[in-house]
Amino acid sequence: MDTDADSAPSDGLAQARQTIAQQARELKRLRARLEQEQFAEKLSSALSLASTTGTIGSPVTHSRLLEMIVETAAHVISARAAALFLLDEEKQELVFEVALGSKADEVRKFRVPLGHGIAGLVAVSGQPMALSDASSDPRLAADIAERVGYVPESVLCVPLFYHDQIIGSLELLDKEGAPSFTSADIDALGLFANQAAVALQQSRTHQNLAALVREIVDSVSEAAADERQALDEGAGTFAAAVEEDESFRRALGLAHLVQEIVSQGEDEFEACQSVLGAFAEYLRLRPRPAGAFGGER
Amino acid sequence: VTGEQRPAWSAAFAPAALRAVEPIPQIDEITPEWAWAGSTGAGVKVAVIDSGVDAAHPAVGGVSGYLAVSPEGDELAYSEEPHEDVFGHGTACAGIVRTVAPDCEIYSIRVLGAALRGRGTVFAGGLRWAIENGMQVCNLSLGSTKRDLFGVFHELADLAYFKNVMLVTAANNMPIPSFPSLYASVISVASHDGSDPYLIFYNPDPPVEFGAPGIDVRVAWRAGSWITVTGNSFAAPHITGLVAKILAKHPRMTLFQMKTVLRALAANVSHDQRARAPSPFEP
Repeated sequence: MDTDADSAPSDGLAQARQTIAQQARELKRLRARLEQEQFAEKLSSALSLASTTGTIGSPVTHSRLLEMIVETAAHVISARAAALFLLDEEKQELVFEVALGSKADEVRKFRVPLGHGIAGLVAVSGQPMALSDASSDPRLAADIAERVGYVPESVLCVPLFYHDQIIGSLELLDKEGAPSFTSADIDALGLFANQAAVALQQSRTHQNLAALVREIVDSVSEAAADERQALDEGAGTFAAAVEEDESFRRALGLAHLVQEIVSQGEDEFEACQSVLGAFAEYLRLRPRPAGAFGGER
Repeated sequence: VTGEQRPAWSAAFAPAALRAVEPIPQIDEITPEWAWAGSTGAGVKVAVIDSGVDAAHPAVGGVSGYLAVSPEGDELAYSEEPHEDVFGHGTACAGIVRTVAPDCEIYSIRVLGAALRGRGTVFAGGLRWAIENGMQVCNLSLGSTKRDLFGVFHELADLAYFKNVMLVTAANNMPIPSFPSLYASVISVASHDGSDPYLIFYNPDPPVEFGAPGIDVRVAWRAGSWITVTGNSFAAPHITGLVAKILAKHPRMTLFQMKTVLRALAANVSHDQRARAPSPFEP
């Protein structure tokens, strides 16, 4: 669909209508798909609830989000314990971020080389895996078992994908009331992991903002050390101000929304682009009351 | 018209060049007896492209050759020295292949390892080596999700098809596109919960075409151990073993014939017309 700003003005409204109709069809299709995936819907709403109450996207509660992901997964799939690992791309290590279990505090930030244990294998192969008799080979789950405080009977582990990148893995230990996890559990946890990875990456992006600004200033600055320090302080103040700024928060909220839509796939990306483009064009072409330009906060 | 004036690619069909090929029996008459009875997979080269294979594991019973691929700067390094299995995953796959095709020649092509930077390209390097070095069946219980590598894997899958190297791939259980399991030129496999290694199903709704045991399967693992696992990774090697077994008995069979044979032998192929789901081609 053509969304160029220089389309003939008379086409603008018709095109916007057409695009909106297309979007309505797309939404209907997506909704139908969601209804089929009842489970994903439930988890999705749990995460969006967290989002609207301000849990997601706020730097101070990034670690709370990670806990929430693990708790939700463990609760819905009825697992006795759970752990979440994030990939440190540079060091090629998995960082043990959250563990639900008796020794949860001890494991935080524990690192394992990528490829170690089940979590490492899953993060490398991109394939989910379930084990029914993990205890028969303690080496398998030694990384988890020792840290969480017991040897599990069953393990279910899925990779966390953001777009086509593996950003970590999510592992559940010991299915309640059953000897092992089922293939339906694998599918369900896989769907959930996709939702969780989006929320997680969004939160991480926000968390990294101040560090990122500082990094940019560092990388472009050839200045002397004392000037650099002044720049660093300036960058820190700037980042803090930006994060406190209401308009930034609103823009970030919108960006998160768009990010969530476009992460669904190429079709969703194009639909989103078409709708926003057409709406912006419609606004540009619409007769504008004097003084309304810009608005106020 | 002389041969030289023929359009490109037509030389193979000139009367003097035309080669006779073997018929296969009527599809309805394909039976396990015809397909693999008496075959042990002997002489068929099977590449297990994975985390390495533990040759000493009783379930594996020896490995005929090794290749370890690892990144070295921007290049790939290849070593044909014997290696270990760094996870157990490759040993599990090799053990399953052996249960079905006990005498096939297993080659361990290790592309998953400790130094994993650029692992998609390492995987592609191992796959290319297998295709170009006489492997007849490749078990791919792994995949890449990197869009950048879509073209690379697509080219390799086509190359394999033209060389009649059969790529048996585990479908991704995750709702994420993964290559090469989504290409038409591979045999894509997911799990069913049966335990008979010869029980296969056909899915008329691709990309995943075949189902094999992959739920709570007892498999060989690292350091001589055994575990019970679930995943499409363990369904694919069942089909790999069957393909090796069939190829040993019918060495000139092509990939498209192989898919036809596997489909004919699937347990859900019904000869009772009333039991079949309606076909889009029938009114």
